[in-house]
Amino acid sequence: VIAGVRLARRLEVDPRRQNITRLLGAAAGLLLAGLLLLLIGRSPFTILSDSIEAIWSKRGVENVLRQAVPIVMCALGVALSLRMRVWNIGSDGQFLFGAFCALGISINVDAPDPVLLVLMAVAGALGGALWILVPALARAYWGVNEIITTLLLNFVALELIKWASLGFWRDTKSQVTKSTVLVEATLPRMWGFERLSIAVLVPVVITIVLFLVFRATTVGYEIDMIGGNARAARFAGVNVPRRIVTVMLITGSIAGLAGMLQLTGVPGSQAMGEGFSSNFGLSGFIVAALAGAAFAGVPIAGLFIAAMFYAGLVLQTKGLSVYIVLAIYAVVLIGVAIGEVAARYDLVRPRPHHVDVPPSAPAALTPTGPTP
Amino acid sequence: MIALITNAFLSIVQAAIPASAVVVLAATGAMVNEKVGVLNLGQEGLIGIGAVFTVLAVQVWEIESPWLCLLVGMSAAAVAGTLFAIATVVVRANQVLVGLALTLGGIGLSNQLGTNRNGTPITVVFADLDPAGAFSGNQITEAFFQHDPLAYIAYVFLPLVLWFLFYRTRHGLDLRAVGESPATADATGTPVLTFRMLYTILGCAISGAAGCYMILAFTPTWSQDIARGRGWVALAVVILAAWRPFYVVLGALLYGAMISLDQTTQARNWDLPFLEAKDVSFALAMLPYLVTLIAILVPAGLARIGKRKSARDAPGGLAVPYFREER
Repeated sequence: VIAGVRLARRLEVDPRRQNITRLLGAAAGLLLAGLLLLLIGRSPFTILSDSIEAIWSKRGVENVLRQAVPIVMCALGVALSLRMRVWNIGSDGQFLFGAFCALGISINVDAPDPVLLVLMAVAGALGGALWILVPALARAYWGVNEIITTLLLNFVALELIKWASLGFWRDTKSQVTKSTVLVEATLPRMWGFERLSIAVLVPVVITIVLFLVFRATTVGYEIDMIGGNARAARFAGVNVPRRIVTVMLITGSIAGLAGMLQLTGVPGSQAMGEGFSSNFGLSGFIVAALAGAAFAGVPIAGLFIAAMFYAGLVLQTKGLSVYIVLAIYAVVLIGVAIGEVAARYDLVRPRPHHVDVPPSAPAALTPTGPTP
Repeated sequence: MIALITNAFLSIVQAAIPASAVVVLAATGAMVNEKVGVLNLGQEGLIGIGAVFTVLAVQVWEIESPWLCLLVGMSAAAVAGTLFAIATVVVRANQVLVGLALTLGGIGLSNQLGTNRNGTPITVVFADLDPAGAFSGNQITEAFFQHDPLAYIAYVFLPLVLWFLFYRTRHGLDLRAVGESPATADATGTPVLTFRMLYTILGCAISGAAGCYMILAFTPTWSQDIARGRGWVALAVVILAAWRPFYVVLGALLYGAMISLDQTTQARNWDLPFLEAKDVSFALAMLPYLVTLIAILVPAGLARIGKRKSARDAPGGLAVPYFREER
C-alpha cells in the first residue's frame, strides 16, 4: 500500500491494455539499459545518435530490412505457435536445416535458375518442417515439453552445418576454408535497391496471410481456442494433437524458408559457415514476445529489433561489444514480461470492505497509472 | 583387443566424470527450482555468471583458496537468481520469458566481463583427491576415484542431502507440495512464495557452481560462451531424470560419456567402415544432444503406449505463477 493506493487484480485482461503495458515495459527496459550503459561509462546518447546515424541512410535502411527478413520470419513462426501456448525455441535449428536442405538441392540438382529457386524454397520449407517434426509429435501425442526438445535440435543443426562446411560440402576451390560451396542461383533484386532481393516481400505476405487466417477463419479461431484453454477446445470437438502438429510444422517451415531466403537472397552469405545464423531464431523469439504473438505487431517489433541488431554490428567498430546488445535484449525481455503482468492490475483506493488484494504485489507493477 | 577396450573405457570414464560434473551441478540446480514449481531456463546464463565471477575472483581479487572462489561465483549466481526470483515469483512474470532473459543477460554479462581474459590460465584449482596415495598407481581407481572434491560433492554429497531433504523430511514434503499444487500447500499453511523464493535462489546458486566447476576443476581457463549448450542439456537431464536427485547424476553421466567418447575417438583417430576419422568426430559432436533427446522421448513414449499414469511427470505446478485468489 503506497500513498493510500493499492493494487487490485483484474479478472479480465484487456488485450489492448496489455499491448500498452508491454510496450511501456519494453521502454522501461530500454531506459534501464541506458542507465546501465551510463554506469559502465558509455554515454547512451552518443550510442543512440551513432546508431541513428548508422541506420539513417539508404545503405543503413537496406541493411536493416535485410536483417529483418529472417528475424521477422522466425518471429512469425514463433508467434504462430505461441497462439497455442507452444514455445518453439528451435527456430535457429529449423532455419539452419532449411538452408541446409536448400543448399543440398543447389549442389545436387542441375536446373535453370527459376526452377532451381522454387525447388530450393520447397526444400527449405520441408527441411524446416522436418526439423520440428519429432518435437511436434512428441509434444502433441506424448506431452513432452517442446522447449527443451526444439532447443536441443538447435545444437544438432549447428554441428551439422559445421560438419558440412568443414567436411562433405567444403568449398575446395576458393580460399575460404570454413564454408560450404557457393550457391549459384540468386533471387532477383528488388527494383531500386542494390542489396535487397525480393525476399523482403515474403515476410510481408506471410504476415498478411496469418493475420487473415486468424481474423476470419475457423482454423485460426480453433488455434486461439487451444491457446486459451486446450481442455475446452477438446470438448468443443477440436482435434488438439493434430492441430498442434500441423501448426508446429508450419512454424518450422516458415523458419526453414527463411533459411533458404537467407542463403539465396543476401549477397555475401550464399554459402553456409559457422556464422550463417546470427541468432536469428533467438531475436525472432524476442520479437514474438514483444509483439505479444499478434501478427500485425510482429513486423514492427521485428524492424525495431533488426535496427538494434544492425546498430550493434555497426557500433562494434566503435568499441561497443555485441554482448552489450545481448544484455539490452535481456533487459527489454524482462520489461516485456513484467509489462504483461502489469496489465492485470489496477490501482484503486481501498474501501474498508475491499478484500481482493494480492498479498505481496509490489509497487513496481504500476506503470499504467490509475484507471477509473 | 580386450586390453584396448578396457583402456578406452577407462579413459572415457576418467574424462566423463569431470565433464558430467558440470551438467550434474547445473541440472541439480534446475531440479531444485523445478521442485518448487519454477521453470528456470536461465541455466546457460547462470553457468556463465558463475564461471566469470570465479575467474574474476582468481585473477582480479587474487583469492587463493578455491573454496572462496567457489563461494564468490555461487554468490554472483545467487544475486542473478534473486533478480530472477523477484521477477518470476513475486511479480509473477512469465517464467519462460524471464528465464530466456536470464540466459541472454548472463551470456552477455559474462562475455563482456571476460572479453580480455580469453585463454588466460587459472592458477587456483581444486587438487584431485588422493588420500595417502591410495588412488594413484592403479588405472581403475585413478579413472573412477581420483577426482577433485567438488566432483564428490556433486555426485555423492549433494544428491544425498537433497534426496533426504525431499523425501525424508516434513519440510521436503511441504516443498514438493508447493511444486505439485501450490493452492493445496497454501491451504495447509505453507508459505508458497517464501518457499519458491528461497529454493529458486538456492537452485540458481547451485547452477552457478557448475560454472565455477568449469573454471576451478574442469578446464582451468576462461573462454567466451563458456556454457556452450551445457545449460540446455542440464534442463533436458532434469526431465529424463524424472526430477529425482540420483537419476540426475545418471542422466548427466550419459551426456558426459558421449562427450568423452567424442574426445577419445578424436585422440585415437578411430574410423568406422563408412566414415573417415575426421567425419566420425563431426558426427559424434552431434551425439550428446541427440542421445539426450532420445533419452527424453523414449520413456515418455513408452509411458504413453503402456497407458500407465506416469510417475515421471513434471511437478504439477511447474511454470505456473501462483496467485492466491485464482486457486
